[in-house]
Amino acid sequence: DLMGVRLAGSHVDTQEPKTNPLVSISDEPETLYKRLSLLVKGHDKAVLDSYEYFAVLAAKELGISVEKVHKPPKKIERLTLLKSVHIYKKHRVQYEMRTHYMCLELKYLTSSTAAVYLEYVQRNLPEGVAMEVKKTKIEKIPEHIQEPVWDTLPQVEETEVKS
Amino acid sequence: HAPPRTERMTVDQDWSSVYPTAAAFKPASVPLPIRMGYPVKRGVPPPKEGNLELIKIPNFLHLTPPAIKKHCAALKDFCTEWPSALDSDEKCERHFPIEIETVDYVSAGTSIRNPKARVVTLRVKLSHLNLDDHAKKKLIKLVGERYCKDTDMLTITMDRCPLRRQNYDYGIHLLTVLYHESWKTEMWESEKTEEDMEEYIWENSCSQKNALDTLLRIKASENVSNVTKEELLASEVVKNYRNSVIALKNEGETEGNMSQYKESVKKLLNIQALP
Repeated sequence: DLMGVRLAGSHVDTQEPKTNPLVSISDEPETLYKRLSLLVKGHDKAVLDSYEYFAVLAAKELGISVEKVHKPPKKIERLTLLKSVHIYKKHRVQYEMRTHYMCLELKYLTSSTAAVYLEYVQRNLPEGVAMEVKKTKIEKIPEHIQEPVWDTLPQVEETEVKS
Repeated sequence: HAPPRTERMTVDQDWSSVYPTAAAFKPASVPLPIRMGYPVKRGVPPPKEGNLELIKIPNFLHLTPPAIKKHCAALKDFCTEWPSALDSDEKCERHFPIEIETVDYVSAGTSIRNPKARVVTLRVKLSHLNLDDHAKKKLIKLVGERYCKDTDMLTITMDRCPLRRQNYDYGIHLLTVLYHESWKTEMWESEKTEEDMEEYIWENSCSQKNALDTLLRIKASENVSNVTKEELLASEVVKNYRNSVIALKNEGETEGNMSQYKESVKKLLNIQALP
């Protein structure tokens, strides 16, 4: 039975980690996101609660630090319409639309981590739930603002501007 | 009719193979005795067979914790680490002073586009830009309401272009133009009057003239030899007076400022404390 026999030189492979063939590494520097704020809106509070559990667990598994999870108060939009198609002004019917919110704030993500997390979380967004993602990107000051350009320009005679 | 699949399910089965993706609730595939709906009078909520309420609501049966952990383990290869040197907000701000905020919107509807998604907000602290005194004051005047004095933060919101990248480029262009314009000194800037000044400067102001006038007249009435203006300006009492007036004008009237002003005036005019 040769199925379980290990070859002599195979212990070299176990020390190197297996590289995933789907992962490609590019040279461009990663953009850094200081904060990622997810605001999820839905009509049903139970659906949003389950979604919050899923999003927080996914963030923890991927190693993203969750700053805070808070639930802004719900907003109710009410309208009063006529009950009948024609006349009967005194008989109306009232409808209301309740929107529940859930805000998830994540800190310190790189662009690939943010792309992975957002795609995972958005693909599993339940029906009837909307999301707004606010990304705060941090950048260095661009080179052309480091020094004012007037210092480096050659001394030019002041020409007549008015033409 | 065949018995439902739930009767053949073991307790330790792999649930992620029963519901690998988001699917409707199938009562014959979920071995839980769920009841949902409004109960009849003196009864219980209806059972799961043929229950429309259970089918309507979105279920998370495909996202149980073991399933989430499996997904994340597979996705972990595509994530990169945050640089460990930037673990606090101050360090981030020191090395990367500019903050750019963009918003993405996800919702179901006839179109996936949202016109609010093109807005870009640029925030920068002026202390990180290479500005001298005159350039900083000119920039604050140019920018007007977009500067907050308490946090020293300049916030520019761009939404005049139709695409987000165009707005971002326009924002960087605006910042560059503001920076360079504030370093330039125009000819008409020399006509800056006292009303345009942001903070109170004591030299060449009415307060200085009045104080010097009064002191000169006191000295003349006492018939002391003519003391020059420079000597008066350099004397301790005048300096005290100058500091207290500047503090009053710039910081507003507080207890400490008023008492300091009182002391300096008393010393200037040589009045003893009133009984």
